[in-house]
Amino acid sequence: MKFDFTEDQHEIKRTAKDLLAARSTLEKQREAAEAGEYDLALWAELADLGWPGVAVEEAFGGGGLGYVELAGLLEEAGYALLNGPFLSTAICAAAISEAGSDSQKEEWLGRLASGEATGAFGLEGEIVPDGASSDVVVVAAPDGSSARLLTGEGAMPALQTIDPTRRYGIAEGELAEGEEMPGDVAAAIDLATVLVSAELVGVCRRVLDMTVEYVKDRKQFGRPVGSFQAVQHRCAQMLLSTEGARATTYFAAWAADSDRERLPEAASLAKSAASKAGVEVTASAIQAHGGIGFTWEADVHWFFKRAELDAAFLGSSGEHDRRLTALLSS
Amino acid sequence: MDLTFSEEEIEFRDELRDWLGSNPPGEEPRSDQDAAFAFRKEWQNSLFEGGWAAVHWPREYGGRDASLMQSAIFFEEMGRANAPLPANGLGLILAGPTIIAWGSDQQKDRFLLPILSAEEIWCQGFSEPEAGSDLAAVKTKAVQDGDEWVVTGQKVWTSVAQYSKWCMLVARTDPEAAKHKGLSYFLMDMEQEAVQIRPLVQITGEAEFNELFLEEARIPADNMLGGEGDGWNVALTTLMNERSGLGFFLQTQLRRALDRLVEDAKENGQIDDPVVAQALGEMHVRTETLRLLAYRGLSIIEQHGQPGPEGSLTKWLWSETNQMLSQLAVGIRGAKSLTEGDPWAYDLLRSRGNSIEGGTTEILKNIVAERVLGLPRK
Ligand SMILES: Cc1cc2nc3c(=O)[nH]c(=O)nc-3n(C[C@H](O)[C@H](O)[C@H](O)COP(=O)(O)OP(=O)(O)OC[C@H]3O[C@@H](n4cnc5c(N)ncnc54)[C@H](O)[C@@H]3O)c2cc1C
Repeated sequence: MKFDFTEDQHEIKRTAKDLLAARSTLEKQREAAEAGEYDLALWAELADLGWPGVAVEEAFGGGGLGYVELAGLLEEAGYALLNGPFLSTAICAAAISEAGSDSQKEEWLGRLASGEATGAFGLEGEIVPDGASSDVVVVAAPDGSSARLLTGEGAMPALQTIDPTRRYGIAEGELAEGEEMPGDVAAAIDLATVLVSAELVGVCRRVLDMTVEYVKDRKQFGRPVGSFQAVQHRCAQMLLSTEGARATTYFAAWAADSDRERLPEAASLAKSAASKAGVEVTASAIQAHGGIGFTWEADVHWFFKRAELDAAFLGSSGEHDRRLTALLSS
Repeated sequence: MDLTFSEEEIEFRDELRDWLGSNPPGEEPRSDQDAAFAFRKEWQNSLFEGGWAAVHWPREYGGRDASLMQSAIFFEEMGRANAPLPANGLGLILAGPTIIAWGSDQQKDRFLLPILSAEEIWCQGFSEPEAGSDLAAVKTKAVQDGDEWVVTGQKVWTSVAQYSKWCMLVARTDPEAAKHKGLSYFLMDMEQEAVQIRPLVQITGEAEFNELFLEEARIPADNMLGGEGDGWNVALTTLMNERSGLGFFLQTQLRRALDRLVEDAKENGQIDDPVVAQALGEMHVRTETLRLLAYRGLSIIEQHGQPGPEGSLTKWLWSETNQMLSQLAVGIRGAKSLTEGDPWAYDLLRSRGNSIEGGTTEILKNIVAERVLGLPRK
C-alpha cells in the first residue's frame, strides 16, 4: 500500500498550484467577486490544459486520467478560491459519464472536456453551483432514483447567495423537465460528492496556512498570539479537521477510480468530514484573526462563505453520517 | 430563594407592556444602514419621551431608579416586543453608567441628558491596531497643553463613529508609567477636523465600524473622566457594563430567533426529525441557561455593587449559542438560509463577530480562569 499520489500525480498538482498562485490571486478573486464576474480568460486557459476533462474517457475527448487526478486539481482550485465553472463543469462531466445515455455522452462529454461548453450538476430542491448559467445541467433526485439533463442557460432560476465568488442556481421542479438519464445516477451523485469534498479540503488547507502565518506574526501582550496555548490548540484542531477531511477524500477519490463497491461509503465519509471541517476550520480562521478576520478586506471570509455553500451542497455532514449508519447496518 | 416576581416588579412590567402596547416599535429597515440608524434614533426618542430610555439610571439623571431585576425585566420586554436596540446603545449602556460612576457633577450635567434623548450619539474608542485583546497597550497619546489635551494616534473597529458626537477615548498620558498606569479616559468631541473617520467594511458587506485617525485632536481638560492615570480603571467600568448589561436584551433576541426557527421547523415538517428535535432542544437549554445565568448575575451585582467577572460567562455562552443557532438554521431551512438578503444568512455572518467584539472568547476564558477560578497566571 502507498497512500500518496504517484510522482506524476504530484507533478500535476504542483503545476496546478503554481499556476493558480500566479494567476488566481486572492486580489483577483476579490475583484471578480465584487464585480460578480468570472475570469473567463483563465477558464479558457485551464480548459486548454485539459482540466475539466481530466477524468473524462479519451474516447470522448477527455484526458483519460482518473478521479484522483481531478480531485487533486479541485483541491488546488479550492486552495486558490478559483472562480469560474471548473468544479461545476467537472462534476457535470462526471455525472454524464455515469448516468448519461450513449448519445448524451456523445453530445456533451467532448464539449465539456474541452471547455467549449460549461456544465452543472445538483440535486432537486437544492442550490446548484452555476446551475443558472451553464450550457448543460444535470439535476438528480436526492435519493439517486432518477436524473434529468437540461440544456440552455437559464435551465433554472439564478440565486444570489452569501458566496459572491461563485454563481448559483436553485433547482425547483427541474426533474419534471429535460431528458431522462438512463445510467447510474447514484454513482454520479457519489462522484460529485467526492469532488466537492476535494475543493473543501483545499479551502481548509488555505485558511489554515493563512491563519498560522497570521498568528505567528500578530503580537499582543508583547508576544505572538500564536504563542498562547488557546490559539495553538485552535490551530492544532484546524489541522486535525483538515487532515481528516483530506485522508477521507483521497480514499474516496481512489475508490472512485479503483474500488467502486466502496464508493458510496467512501463518498459519505469524505463529505461528512469535509463539510464539517470546511465550516469549522474557516470559522476558526476568522476567530484567530480577531477583528481583522471580521473585515471584508482580510479575505478569510470568502473561504467561510464558500465553505458554507460547499458544506450544504450534496449533503451536510449530518446527512452523510446518517447515510453511513444506514449503509453500515444494511 | 424566590423565583417569582414581586408585586412591584409585576407592576413595573405591566406598566411597560401598556406603554409598549400603545407605542409599538415597528419594523427596523434591514436593507439600508443609515435608514436603520435613523429608525433606531426615532425609537430611542420615543422611549425617552415615555421616560423609558434608561430605566437603570438614577432618577436624578432621567432614569427610573430601576432595581436590577426591573432593569432585566425591561430588556426582556424590549426583546419580546421585537424592539431594536436604541440608536445610542453605547451611550446608554456604556458611556452613561461610566460617567455616573466616575464623573464630576459638571460632567453629569453636561453629558447625561443628551445621551438619553439620543441627541448626542456615543462611540467607544478603545481598540487600536496594536491594542486589541491587549487593551492596555494603547499607544494613542495625549499631551497637556494649557487647559487642553492634544491627542494623536489611531483607533480601530470603532462602531457607529460615523454617527457619533462623542467618543469614550482611552489614551496614554504618561509614557513613562507602567502600561496600565499611564492611561487616562477622555470624553472627546468627534466634530473636529483633527478626527478623521474611515469606514471599515465587515464580512456582512456593511460598514458598521470605522478607523479613527487622530491628528492633534483637542480635548478640554474638563473632559477627562476620573483622574490622570485612572484610565484603565475607568475603562474596566465600561467593559464590565459591556459584558453584562446587554445580557438580557441579547438573550431575548436569541429566544425570539429560536422561536422563529422552531416555527419554521414545524412548518416544513423537520421538527419530526429526531435529530432536528434534539438540536432545537439543545438550543432551548442553552437559551434558558443563559437567561438563568443572567438572573444569577444580578444577585452578584447586588452584593458587590457592580458586575463581576462572571459576566464573561454569559457573553461567552451567548456568542457561542448565537453562532450555533444560525448554523442550525442552515440545516433546517435549507437553501434559503444561504441566500443573500435572508435574515438568517445575515446572522450566519454577523454572529461570527460575536466571539470577537467586546473581548474575544479566548480572553473571556482567560478572565474566568484567572479571576473567577483563581488559577495561576503565566
Ligand atoms: C463587530 C465588532 C465591533 C467592534 N466594536 C468596537 C468598538 O466599538 N470599539 C472598540 O474599541 N473596539 C471594538 N471592537 C474591537 C474588539 O474589541 C477587538 O477586535 C477585540 O478585542 C480583539 O482584538 P484584536 O482584533 O486586536 O484581536 P487580537 O487581540 O489580535 O486577537 C487575535 C487572536 O488571538 C487571540 N488572543 C489574543 N490574546 C490572547 C491571549 N492572551 N490568550 C489567548 N488568546 C489570545 C484572540 O482571542 C484572537 O483569537 C469591535 C470588534 C468587532 C468584531
